[in-house]
Amino acid sequence: MEEQQGNSLPEIRKQLKKLLVENLALEDINPEEIKDDEILFGDGLGLDSLDAVEIVVILQRNFGLEIQDMEQGQKIFYSIETLANYVYENTRE
Amino acid sequence: MKTDFKNKQRGNRLGFWFFRVSLSVFGLKGTYGLLYFVCFYYLLCDRAAVSAARAYIHRRFPKAGFLKSCFHIYILLINQGKQLIDRYAAVSGQVDFDMRLDGYERLINIADNSGQGFILLTSHVGNWQIALTALNKIGKKVYLLMRKEDNPAVIETLQVGIEKGEIEIISPDQYMGGVIEIMNALKNGHIVSIMGDRSYGVNTLDIPFLGETAYFPYSAFSMAAAQGCPIVVLFAAKIDYMSYVVDVTNILRPEYKTRTNKKEQLRDWVMNFAELIEAFVLKHPYQCFLFHDVWKKEIVDGRTTGQ
Repeated sequence: MEEQQGNSLPEIRKQLKKLLVENLALEDINPEEIKDDEILFGDGLGLDSLDAVEIVVILQRNFGLEIQDMEQGQKIFYSIETLANYVYENTRE
Repeated sequence: MKTDFKNKQRGNRLGFWFFRVSLSVFGLKGTYGLLYFVCFYYLLCDRAAVSAARAYIHRRFPKAGFLKSCFHIYILLINQGKQLIDRYAAVSGQVDFDMRLDGYERLINIADNSGQGFILLTSHVGNWQIALTALNKIGKKVYLLMRKEDNPAVIETLQVGIEKGEIEIISPDQYMGGVIEIMNALKNGHIVSIMGDRSYGVNTLDIPFLGETAYFPYSAFSMAAAQGCPIVVLFAAKIDYMSYVVDVTNILRPEYKTRTNKKEQLRDWVMNFAELIEAFVLKHPYQCFLFHDVWKKEIVDGRTTGQ
């Protein structure tokens, strides 16, 4: 697991966008093109349940975080903003 | 999502009460004997059951005419009934079946040394539920990915494990198909049992199976590749009156070679699994209880599977 503690919220957003593009094979998208409030699944970025698998692993391996349940996941996986907030809140020293 | 075949008729609580009483009164052989009448009734009167079985029978016995197909379906229904009874008899402790475990040592090594869980990939062939009773020696918690309402027979027969907390159910109907719970279970060293031959969504690949293109789900392979955990393929064949062979020798380790086109990278693994099922049903033609047309694209929320 990479050490991520202490990163600022903008840094985490930037890092998450980069990780999503790399790991979800979003070939035609630059990380900078993803808006902070863009909906990740469905009509927004168009991710599906298998992409959710990759996001779970990204959170585990890069931030040491585990989503507890579906209800929590539904809120966290809404957008880059919600995802970054979750990482920020749970990796702060 | 619609349930194409209402198998609740053949796996409900009344049915289990009937066979429970029958087992006590007539024993295993006597209860098997009743099946010949019960299944003949289903063959004549349960058009849904016969129609659901025909998709497989048509591919497994392509040269069979109408009457011969009906005969094959009749034998298939009887065998399914026998395995339902065996399942109940084994779990309730009324009958002690002889279980030969092929590949058990290797499975123990994986369970002890991998540091994480694994996916137990099952299918609608043989009697995987009875195999769970044989595998409980591993001492790991098992999560079953399934709909409770679609599997009354499974729930009924696995009550013992559920009550002890050894078995838990993850519903595929929740947000993201239960992905988060599955991934957590794997990370925490548990076993997640997934049916690998039946799609509950749009995540399928078109692959050859019994001579035609079928649509198999690839979600289990995707999760294994992402988590870096192995897939243990489980087969449990009834080989005679009181004996089963539980085969866990086939261990698959899906992985992505590149970050692009991951779905296509899983194709070989899914095909490998389908080939294993095909080999099983060629050897045990009346132990395939795939009462679902996997050769037909499903319409799910306006989309077809395989896309």
